[in-house]
Amino acid sequence: MAEWHRVAALSDLSLEAPLGVRIGDLQIAVVKLEDGVYAINDVCTHEYALLSEGFCEEGRIECPLHQACFDIRTGKALNEPAEVDVATYPVKVEDGAVFVQVP
Amino acid sequence: MARTVIIGAGQAGRRTAEALRDLDPEAEILLLGEEAHPPYDRPPLSKAVLLGKDPGNGLFVRAPDFYAGKRITLRTGTRVEALDLAAKQVVTAAGERIGYDSLVLATGARARPLPVPGADDPRVHTLRTLEDAQAIQAALLSKPRLAVIGGGLIGLEVASSARQLGCSVTVLEAADRLMARCVPPAISDMAAALHRGHGVALHLGRTVRRIEPRPDRLLLDAGDVQVEADLVVIGIGGIPNTALAEAAGLAVQDGILADACGRTSHPDVYAAGEVARFDHPFFGRQVRLEAWQVAQNQPAAVARAICGQAQPYDEIPWHWTDQFTWNLQVFGTPDPELELIRRPAGEDRLTAIAVDAGGRARGAVLINNGREATPVRRLIGAGKALDLAALRDPAVPLRQFL
Repeated sequence: MAEWHRVAALSDLSLEAPLGVRIGDLQIAVVKLEDGVYAINDVCTHEYALLSEGFCEEGRIECPLHQACFDIRTGKALNEPAEVDVATYPVKVEDGAVFVQVP
Repeated sequence: MARTVIIGAGQAGRRTAEALRDLDPEAEILLLGEEAHPPYDRPPLSKAVLLGKDPGNGLFVRAPDFYAGKRITLRTGTRVEALDLAAKQVVTAAGERIGYDSLVLATGARARPLPVPGADDPRVHTLRTLEDAQAIQAALLSKPRLAVIGGGLIGLEVASSARQLGCSVTVLEAADRLMARCVPPAISDMAAALHRGHGVALHLGRTVRRIEPRPDRLLLDAGDVQVEADLVVIGIGGIPNTALAEAAGLAVQDGILADACGRTSHPDVYAAGEVARFDHPFFGRQVRLEAWQVAQNQPAAVARAICGQAQPYDEIPWHWTDQFTWNLQVFGTPDPELELIRRPAGEDRLTAIAVDAGGRARGAVLINNGREATPVRRLIGAGKALDLAALRDPAVPLRQFL
């Protein structure tokens, strides 16, 4: 059953400054963009690396190891070496707190 | 319908085929590879494959049915023996003649052999192909004493993998520092400390003169240093596979000479990837680069040239290596004569920017700090004089200079 987890206060997030969080075994990157807060799987689909350690701009996040880029809103892999998209998770903001829903 | 024949089904060959297909839905594309495998990327060979880890889709990037789906005719196990430029045909080892309208040479490079006695012993390996990596991986399982000849990227990645598997490892490097061709001395020193800290025995400035094979071991003679080993891996660079081009009379000089769009000295023939020595606007001269980035993206310029949409390949050079706890990335040309400005970013994390006399960033090295990849690339690309006093202060964020 999918559950909502509080991961951060909204005030903890700066624009395009990804925050890496852990929910159970899942590593998740939470990113505030101009139109809202998004959550994607934090692990690059190419090789093990945390996307939250990477450069973020214009709705894209760049893997710090090998420069694969992903669309933060859709999880889509935008260039090689990544071929596989990252998972996205629903996010809601309530009373100044950010919640992520994981399966 | 125009037919392009691509010789060499490695990463550069694959990328040429893919880029050509994207540009021209009608093109007939033949990709001929000597190896038994469909195209694969080589970076995992010295890391995931040696470690016995699943390299995932980092090795065979495309699924087996990808090529048919893109109407790319892939013929593996096909060796080309000769080019007949006058007849616009290639001749395979089986004697088959295949005609083309455009020909792409993506024949890559081979491991440079070490010209010393004993290097032909079966316990002495080079690392180039998947089979090479699998043979070394199998030999590492018995935790041999490994001697690596060559302290460049491949040698150090092999050393790192073997140490992680519990082997005792010695690295012998002829130069007086590690990775001398790609990083400045200060970074070489840090890499030496990294390797020594992980238990690698390093001998710098030592040239192996002979390998003496004994039944139970190999003895490496490097003058004042003698090393005993059970397994040797040689990583001293690559030699471009230019024999076909040379025999056909193309201009060759440590690589097939090409312009910034991959066009060789013959109008129907192009060179892609690490076999090409091409005009590179960033360097302002001809270079031959053995790097994933070049195999990945220079072929797109070749494909455009074939389609009459020539546009130079002018990316800022980039390569990476993963060794022990390090992800090391190198951008541009951080040449030793440039001033290196170090911006520490925490333990085991560093951005170092090489600036020229005019205060312009010409190169950069990142250690575990890939979040600054795009900022340093832009700094180098902008080519404008920087406020060096501010740049020397790691507390001033790089975006302030963009």
